[in-house]
Amino acid sequence: MNAAQPGLPAATAPRASLWRTALYKLRRDRAGLLGLAVVVLYLVAAVGAWCGWWAGDWALITGTKWGPVSAQHWFGTNIIGQDIFQRAIYSTGTAFQVGLVVAVLAVGMGAVIGAVGGFFAATWIDEIVLWLMGVLDAIPFYLMVAAIAFALADNPYAMHVAMVSTFWTTTGRLVRGEVIKLRGLEFVEAARAIGVPPVAIIFRHILPNTFHILLVQLTLCFVDAIKAEVVLSFLGLGVKDGMSWGLMISESTLEFLAGHFNNLIVASALLFGLVFAFNMLADALQDALDPKQVA
Amino acid sequence: MDILQYALRRLLAGLPLLLGVTLFSFTLMVYFGPDKTFELLGKNPTAQEIAEVRHQLGYDRPFVLRYGEYLRELATVDFGNSDSTGERVSSLLARTIPVSLALELPGFVLGNLLGIALALLAAYHRGRWPDKLIMGLSVIGMSISFLVVIFVFQIWFCTSHGLDLFPVRGWGTASLADYLRHVTVPTLAMVFVALGYNTRFYRAVIVEEMGRDHVRTARAFGAAPARLFWRDILKNCAIPVITRIVFTIPAIVIGGALLLETSFGIPGVGKAAYEAIISGDQPVLKAVVGLTTALFVIALLVADILYRAVDPRVSLE
Repeated sequence: MNAAQPGLPAATAPRASLWRTALYKLRRDRAGLLGLAVVVLYLVAAVGAWCGWWAGDWALITGTKWGPVSAQHWFGTNIIGQDIFQRAIYSTGTAFQVGLVVAVLAVGMGAVIGAVGGFFAATWIDEIVLWLMGVLDAIPFYLMVAAIAFALADNPYAMHVAMVSTFWTTTGRLVRGEVIKLRGLEFVEAARAIGVPPVAIIFRHILPNTFHILLVQLTLCFVDAIKAEVVLSFLGLGVKDGMSWGLMISESTLEFLAGHFNNLIVASALLFGLVFAFNMLADALQDALDPKQVA
Repeated sequence: MDILQYALRRLLAGLPLLLGVTLFSFTLMVYFGPDKTFELLGKNPTAQEIAEVRHQLGYDRPFVLRYGEYLRELATVDFGNSDSTGERVSSLLARTIPVSLALELPGFVLGNLLGIALALLAAYHRGRWPDKLIMGLSVIGMSISFLVVIFVFQIWFCTSHGLDLFPVRGWGTASLADYLRHVTVPTLAMVFVALGYNTRFYRAVIVEEMGRDHVRTARAFGAAPARLFWRDILKNCAIPVITRIVFTIPAIVIGGALLLETSFGIPGVGKAAYEAIISGDQPVLKAVVGLTTALFVIALLVADILYRAVDPRVSLE
């Protein structure tokens, strides 16, 4: 990852690499650090929920219908007496599971396909890559997800597959553009001249230099995935077994008429907190890793 | 004349895209889609009855023939009748698309205009508190789920827990008052959600344009700020702005309104398309997918022609 960054102004410090400067800038970005801290806090809650350290009673009926806020039930209970706080914490685990799986797979897929398209720009390979991205972008997202959910017949990962297969195109386009820029540079030319095969050039020499794009895309893709999960769960296409903020929010529609909003408030507040923190982190990363530095 | 020629060439170039999208969605939505056979049959059907219905729905023919049939339907723009209701697909679309347009147009226009206005304000005060306030608010807006916005606005504006000013569900265009009564809350929700994204995007575009050499030169020569913004910055921002606006139109016509339509009980095309997928209503699906792609190809073309119109340096080659 410490390959020389061509075109980077070496003005800040004598040995300023992209990553060193980025780390320096990130450490001075208070909003970004706050975002990172909040994300880590959520991650701890999520890991705890995965390992069963807490929120294990999310599915049990532990109180009365629409119980009030109390020491035992921090945010009251829902329509059948389940503890809303436990369900919300358990859902943090679901959100991280969806976000991580979708972000890693979609960004990875976009990186590989985009890099191949960019490296072979203006050949038939690139034409196919562009065509594929155009086709996927032209199909309305929710219709595509609904169709994949039905084609995969109640598979719990239908939602993940659908998101990955539509989200990768954004990363793909960005990486393709960057690779077209990189492949004209001297270090690629040198690698080609000494006979390094194209696959090795792409994966060993070019892709590591797009890592700053991938990192930002990971955070943005994570945000998109957990926001889409909420909508898909509401439409009945999302999380099948388990609990998620989306399921809590759609469950809360049953309680509006009776005037109970705890489910809605807790689930959407936690969702907002995580998405907001991730957005701030993504902004900070983007600023820190942008070699052009457009303020 | 060369614009016409160019348009035709571009439409031809859109054919692979059309083929790709139709093949992809046909495989996914029709070939692997829900099977309607037993919904249309009575109790205890005989093997022959089953075969008959399957033949009627076209399930027994090979994939290539069925896809070929779809292409023929696309070329003639005749998709037959809905499997679920028996309504003609063309009349179903003619009934639902205007509803979706009437629902979304005000929110779309307001969301973009307000976004540009706020972005200009932020860019003008770049780095000072109005900029920080606007950008902070837009990140907050971006972080709130559309679904939550819809629910909160419904509770706030439409129920006795809040102001109770508008109906929760339903649609009507009998009179202007009726239309406004039903369209206001969905529009507010749409503008609220779009504003964060739009403002950020437009501010980034404007700020980048403000940093260019010709702007600095104009400023050095003493150009008035208003004139500078209008002539040297806004006009040069037209290309990314056009791209963003034109490319959201296909999504808006077909899929974008799904959430609003489901939560407010509005009989638009997003809901119709969604129900067609869930129930496996193939004729409706085929029409919706074909129409979306056609719109997408046309949007590509319109964007190119508009680029030419706003920027004489862009050539139509």
